[in-house]
This record gives sequence, C-alpha cells and structure tokens, in this order.
Amino acid sequence: MSHLTDDDLVLHYYGEDGSRLVAAERHLRTCVQCAGAYAALSRTLSAVTPPTFVDVPDELPALRQVIRDRVRERSTHRRGSESAHRGEVGALAAVWLAALVYPFSFDALFNSARLAQEHAAAMLLVVPSLLWACGGPLLAVLVLNRVAVERRDRAVTRLLVAGALMATISPSLYPLLSRVIGPLPIAGGPSWYGAVALGALLAFVPWPNRRERSVRFLYVHRVSAVIVTAYVLAHVVNQALAFVSVPAYTAMRNVMRLASEQPATYTLIVGAVAIQVATGAAMGLAKVQRGAFARNLTAVSGWYLAVFLLVHVLSGFLPRATTTTAAAVNQFNLLASSRATAQLPFLLLGVAAFLFHVGVYARFAALAYFAEASVRRVSYAGMLAGTTVVVTVGLALCGIHLTR
Amino acid sequence: MTDGDLDLFLSLVERHYRYLYNLALRMTGNEQDAKDVVQESLLNAYLGLERFDGRADLRTWLNRILVNCALDHLRGLRRRPDVSNPRPLSDVIDTAVSTAADPERLAAGADSRRQIEAVMAAMSPLERVTFALRHFEGCSIREIAQIVGIGDNATKQHIFRAVRKIRLALEPHWRAR
Repeated sequence: MSHLTDDDLVLHYYGEDGSRLVAAERHLRTCVQCAGAYAALSRTLSAVTPPTFVDVPDELPALRQVIRDRVRERSTHRRGSESAHRGEVGALAAVWLAALVYPFSFDALFNSARLAQEHAAAMLLVVPSLLWACGGPLLAVLVLNRVAVERRDRAVTRLLVAGALMATISPSLYPLLSRVIGPLPIAGGPSWYGAVALGALLAFVPWPNRRERSVRFLYVHRVSAVIVTAYVLAHVVNQALAFVSVPAYTAMRNVMRLASEQPATYTLIVGAVAIQVATGAAMGLAKVQRGAFARNLTAVSGWYLAVFLLVHVLSGFLPRATTTTAAAVNQFNLLASSRATAQLPFLLLGVAAFLFHVGVYARFAALAYFAEASVRRVSYAGMLAGTTVVVTVGLALCGIHLTR
Repeated sequence: MTDGDLDLFLSLVERHYRYLYNLALRMTGNEQDAKDVVQESLLNAYLGLERFDGRADLRTWLNRILVNCALDHLRGLRRRPDVSNPRPLSDVIDTAVSTAADPERLAAGADSRRQIEAVMAAMSPLERVTFALRHFEGCSIREIAQIVGIGDNATKQHIFRAVRKIRLALEPHWRAR
C-alpha cells in the first residue's frame, strides 16, 4: 500500500475510510512516516474539544412570546399580501406578454440599428431593443426568483412557470417555427399565437412529482452533457473566431461540418441532445424555486438550450431557411433585414445560455474541491470571460470583424 | 394554528431545547448567535409542522432544521462585516507561531482554546458546520450530507479543508512544545 495522504488520515481518524479501514490500519503499523503524520493529526484533532455543554436558562416562556409575535407578523404579512397577489398577477402578465409580443422586438431592433447607422444618437434605442429581444430569459429568472413557484398543485403557479418557460424559449421557438411551417409574419401571425396558447395548455395538465427521478436523470444528463458541451464549445469558439477573421471561421466551419456530418458522429450528437432535452425537461420544471437564483438560472438556461440545440441538430430534417435569412447568417449581416435580425437574439442567447448552464454546474462542482472564496473569485473571472465571448460573437454576427 | 398548538409544540421541544442550544453554540461559536439560530429554527419547525411526517424522530427533524438555520445565519453574518469580522486565517496562523514560544501558557490551554475559536471563525459556513457535526457530534459523512443537502464528496472536501485550517493554526503550538 502506498503512503496515506492527509485526507486518508482524516478519514481514518473518523473511521470513515470504509473498506480501506483495515488496510490503512495495517499500513500505519508498518510505516513510520505515516504513523508519525497520523499521531500529529490525532494530537491536533483531540485538542479540538467542543465548548463545554452549558445549561441554558428556561427561555421557553420568552420563546413562546417571540414565536407568537413572529407568527402574528407573518400572518399579518400574509393578510396584507394583496401586494403579493398583485405581484403574482403582474409576474404572470409580464411573462406571457413577453412571449406574445416577442416577434415585434426584432423589428424594433432592426429599425433602431438602421437608424443608428444614420444617427449615432439612435444607439440609445438599440440597447433597449436588444434588451427587449433578449429579455425573455432574464425576465423568467427574475420572476421565478421572486414569486413563490413551489406549489405546483396550483394552476396559477403552473401557469406562471409555463409562462416563464415560453418567455425563455421565444427567441429560439420563433426560428424553429419559421423553419417548420415557413416564414412567419413579422407580427407573429396565428402560428405564433397558437404556439404560445399551446404553451399555456401545459399549465392545465398534471405535472409529475418528482425528486427521486431527478437524481437518476441527473447522472444521465451529466454524461450526455460531455458530448454536447464539446459540440457546442467548438461552435462558440468558431463564432467568436469570426470576429477576428472570416476566412479562419470559414475554414474551421468546413472542418467541423465534415466531422459532424459523418453518420456515427451525427448519431452521437443527436442522441446526446435528445437525452439532454428529455432528462432536462424532466428535471427543469421541478427544479425552479423562489430565491434559488443559481438553480433557476440553470433551469432557464437549460430550457433555452433545449430548443436551441433542437433547431441545430434537426436542421438537416427541417425545410431550409429562406434564402435571404441563410445568406444573412452566412455573411454575418444579421441587421440586413428584420427577418434576419431574429437570428441575432436566437444565436446570442444560445451562446449565453450555454456558458451560464455549464458555468453554474462548474461552480457547484468546484465547490466540492475548492474553498468558497476561491470559487467565487474564479466565477467572477468566468463571468467576465463569458460576457466577452458573447459580445465578440454579437459583433461578428452584426458584420464587425477585425480582418476580412 | 392556535395558541394551544404552540403550547403543545413547545412542550414537545422543551426536552430537546438544551441539546439544540448547545449544538447551535458549537456551530456558531457564541451565545447570542446560538440563541438566534435556535429561535429561528423553532419558529420554522412550528410553521412547518405539517411537513413532519414521522419518518425521522423529532430530534433528528429539529436537528436538520437547526443546521440549515445555522448555515443561513453564518452566511448572513459573512455578508455583514460590520457584525462579524473574523480574523483572516493567515493572522490566526501568525498568532500561533508568535505565541508558540510560551509553552506554559499553552499548556494551560487558554491560548489553544482561543486559537481554536479563531480558526473556527475563519472557516467558511459549510466548513464550520460540517466539521462541527463530524467532530463534535459524531455524525457520519453520509448523515451530514443528508442534513446539509450536499453530496458525500462535497461534505468530505469541506471537512478536509476545515481540518487543514485547524492543523495550520494549531500545529505550530505542538512543534514549539
């Protein structure tokens, strides 16, 4: 047996080394070096004694009063919770409105961008238009974070979560519908409103109840994520490369296309995406919870990624995009027409959702191995790097490149 | 819920109060914080009484609520440096090295107790709580993971880091002696 590490010694001290207990003990009896380290550890840990057990004065009468006051406070709060109810109604209206009026946002973005080309001051209009076009997922995270969404037995709660889902996926649902049923009118048209209404129906079917399954799904979800992450990461790097040089982007895209069009690779990618979407859908709706920002962010970015990836991997089976849209994407000129502009929030949010989804998971995983403060510092650096990537991709898509 | 329910609830928790208070004291390190944590956890327990399904005994259930309240409380303190300003670990280690030359005082234990309190205060909330549950309460890693709601491996890593900090802060004492 090789020498015991410091962590092995800690586990042995607490009798937590399971099947290695006997082997570790045998090793400690024969290895002077490890025995010395173990003696030092034992000496230190045995010096760490708990504070002496103290007798507490009888505080129950005081506690009774405190609890009574706090309960009263809460119930007054609840009675006066008309504002909370209004908040719920407001949140409900906001998420569904965001989904319904989404098709108008890229028209606003297109027109404000055109205006900005003529008058620099109109850039002030581009920012809110871009926020509007990309704001659905942000709104969903805010709403899920502030409104109580735990009671899935309430139809209102389900309607709220379904609204958050529709607001989130609108920017990728629009291109998907445009591909499946042909170009949608700028204002969305009956197909768009029909799709939103179908989303609302989700609130009126019973939702599965949940946790044990989530744990099982999580493992499969993580394994398939490795393949999807490699696939998406290659695309994100390539899109960012377009900002530096279009020929370099084209060369890398051709190589990736060649690789991903091989039947084995294609099957692997489609299979991994299918598993991601199925397991993510099973977990995502159950996961959201008020106040759990990271969890809500994971769920919302996962919802978006699901539709985004479906559009990508199924593009071989879907009818081709209209010539003008395809040309605009290929020539990095998404501000060429308002229809092409719809691709901008679709692609930008795809990159952002991927980085958030992977980033939040990486943060949780890192917490198991590193101190919270270090993880927090690295997270900030990661957020900065992620924002840079998103901005770089955005500039490239709008036709801004360092070299041609 | 009526006042009668509250009286009944308090009479049930009365026999666990001393234990809960001491557990909170071990995790927070001072009496006022321990009191706040117990108060908050009993309020949460009372309000969530409907969720107590009897799968665990009352003490285990209260324990779980208390640990999570302690974690929230410690995290809250960290966000408020005006209330709690623990010394950085490097300061704690420096003190250990500089006072190590006085073995008589160390033998009396006063310095090492202070040193233990300082190093516990320098731990992150999760390190502190997982270590306290493992070292003081004798809970297994699996039990701690379930109580705190994190994975077994994450629990181990928090305990390892806590032990590493303790060793860094205390072992200079032993070497000097």
